[in-house]
Amino acid sequence: MTDRSLTPRSVPELYGGRYVVRPAERYGQATPEDSRLRGTGRVADDLWLMAHDDRTGRALLKPRQLGLGLAGGLLADLFLGGRAGLGADGTIRPASRAHRVPAADAADAALLELMAAEPIPLPVRDWLRFLAARAAEQVGARLEDAGYLTTVRRRVRWLPGRLIPGDPDWAITPISRAGMALDPRRPASPHACALVGLATACGLGFRLDQYLTHARTVPDAVQLLPPDVRALIAATAAAAASAVLSHRT
Amino acid sequence: MTMQAARPGTVSRSLAKNRIGKPAVLSFILAAVAPLTVAAGLITSAYAVTGLAGIPAAFLVVAVILAVFAAGYTAMSRHLTHAGAFYSFIAAGLGRVPGTAAALVALAAYSCLQIALYGMLGPFAAMQAAAHFGIDAPWWQFALGAWALITVLGLLRVDITGRVLATLTGAEILVIGALTVAGLTHPADGQLSVRPLSPAGLTSGGWGTAGVLAVIAVLGCSGFEQAPVLSEEARNPRRTIPFTTYAALGLIAVMYGGSAWAMAAHAGTGRVSAAAAQQGPGLLFGLGGTGFLAQTAQWLFLTSLFAAALAFHNACWRYGFAAGREGVLPGRLGRTAANSIPRAASLAQSGTALAVIVIFAAGHLPPVTGLFFDLGTTGGFGILILLAVTSLAVIGFFARDRHGETPWSRLIAPAIAAVVLGTLAVLAVLRYATLLGVPPGSPVAWALPASYAAVTVIGLVWGLILKYRRPDIYASIGLGPYAVTGQPVHVPGTRS
Repeated sequence: MTDRSLTPRSVPELYGGRYVVRPAERYGQATPEDSRLRGTGRVADDLWLMAHDDRTGRALLKPRQLGLGLAGGLLADLFLGGRAGLGADGTIRPASRAHRVPAADAADAALLELMAAEPIPLPVRDWLRFLAARAAEQVGARLEDAGYLTTVRRRVRWLPGRLIPGDPDWAITPISRAGMALDPRRPASPHACALVGLATACGLGFRLDQYLTHARTVPDAVQLLPPDVRALIAATAAAAASAVLSHRT
Repeated sequence: MTMQAARPGTVSRSLAKNRIGKPAVLSFILAAVAPLTVAAGLITSAYAVTGLAGIPAAFLVVAVILAVFAAGYTAMSRHLTHAGAFYSFIAAGLGRVPGTAAALVALAAYSCLQIALYGMLGPFAAMQAAAHFGIDAPWWQFALGAWALITVLGLLRVDITGRVLATLTGAEILVIGALTVAGLTHPADGQLSVRPLSPAGLTSGGWGTAGVLAVIAVLGCSGFEQAPVLSEEARNPRRTIPFTTYAALGLIAVMYGGSAWAMAAHAGTGRVSAAAAQQGPGLLFGLGGTGFLAQTAQWLFLTSLFAAALAFHNACWRYGFAAGREGVLPGRLGRTAANSIPRAASLAQSGTALAVIVIFAAGHLPPVTGLFFDLGTTGGFGILILLAVTSLAVIGFFARDRHGETPWSRLIAPAIAAVVLGTLAVLAVLRYATLLGVPPGSPVAWALPASYAAVTVIGLVWGLILKYRRPDIYASIGLGPYAVTGQPVHVPGTRS
């Protein structure tokens, strides 16, 4: 009897009911899609993927916690990229002209412009609350433009479409990137440490359960970060906890 | 050339737009107070159990005392990053060891308040089901049904939405107002007496009865202290928080004092206790006859009880979550599971409530007088203790740094409140048997207040253990969600 799984014509791979068909002659070779396994290199993008189900795209956090976590991610990307930092008074300031690094994309540039336009520097907590309102939408749109997500129409037609990962593997790899920060056998990159710190801060710690038995704890990983990123993660954790305690849902 | 204040930028303007005003904060406080639950449930039970006629005066006098308390309380809340709990005030003002004890006392008190509600929800739901649907089932089945629903809603982190709650609360206040007017315009013997409003009624049975009545009134007013919880989200919090706190106290005094007076006037001052024992919540509903007003009041009472039980359930897990986050309670309580749900904290409260309901059902203990009133007033006694100690904390906090507050707010008002509330708490302990309606010397009359002493001792010992064995956790006590930052009370860049 012929083993249909070995048919030479194509190798269908089943992901949650969606087939990704790869031409058989390309099987085993890297494809353009595989580059997306490395991620965009942005903390906010990886956090978005961690915060949503890898197959259905359903959010795993309440909107306020999700928004605050992603807001922390957007700010962490600016801090790690040297484009902004935390002053001694706890306010966020864009990097001075002498030290300014060009913005990575239009969204970063817009955020830096907003910071520069504020007459008085604002504390971390205010930036987190401001960005939280639209962070999920912004980061989701950015991932969709980059090809990581696609909009799928829902069963109930008049509801807005849902963003789902084009390939569940792209959505899973941020978890292993975060997990690398907890493995003492591996060098901990600032990206991974910031990702694991912010993920824990906004309530995604349960996604890292399999990595929590490693010798390096989340606080250990966060300690490896620069002071302003550490303070940002602490402020995000406090804001997310406040949101849990909040009476406004 | 004069310096002009910098105009707010895009971010500041956006944040300001999202803040809530006085009506929303006031609505939040009144919803927390659960008007019909107090008017129809607490006041009628108080008349029936204690036999005291000074309940209307108690609400008026206690509202004045709480307004004096609020002067220092709202002033101190401006300088705390976590102003959502009495224990953070006590930790900041008196030290973290007393703060630890206060956290456990507060959790015990609010837990009593939440669980007590099943003692009225079950029997009243059973009565309504029998009267309107012909369903004949014991009270505990309805109590367990409500418990199950609240457990599920608690796990889903569902609060009744602001608009629905505001509508229900508004309807409750209107109904109470209408019933009060109906009762006052139809007094017994055709003559309205103002004797129930006289402060002399507070000591009609001796000085100790002032303490008993204070516990009842404080229980009825509990929820008025919630305004600082919303100070981060309120527009112009320096004015909104005090204004809404005083407005709520004024409305509470008029609403509860008025309805209690109306019930006494309608039944007759000397007969109101017997009437309450016979009619229960019907003593209030009956002021409107048997028509539409009375029927509406009964259904609103049921929704009020359910909403209050859910709100207090959520208040309990918030306390457990904050304390778990700080490390005062097991850390598991301070963690959220998927969908940002503090599952452990919510289930802990549900488990406790289930145990108590089962004990009352299996022991055939009276739900209304035993569970609702006795456990509820014990919760109210805990709140009275916390209010008195918080007044001392206000004095201690401003003694170290005046923070630009007036002598009235930082010293005079809290000193008056501490002395008066403390005295009332002592008097309540001396006459606890009257509060519970049991003979003097009854074991339950000393066991219930003594339980707070036991919880306090446990809290103090645990605080000392944390101080010397876990200084990292000790340093976070009272900081609530900011425990992870380990920041001192005032965080740079936040409101001052």
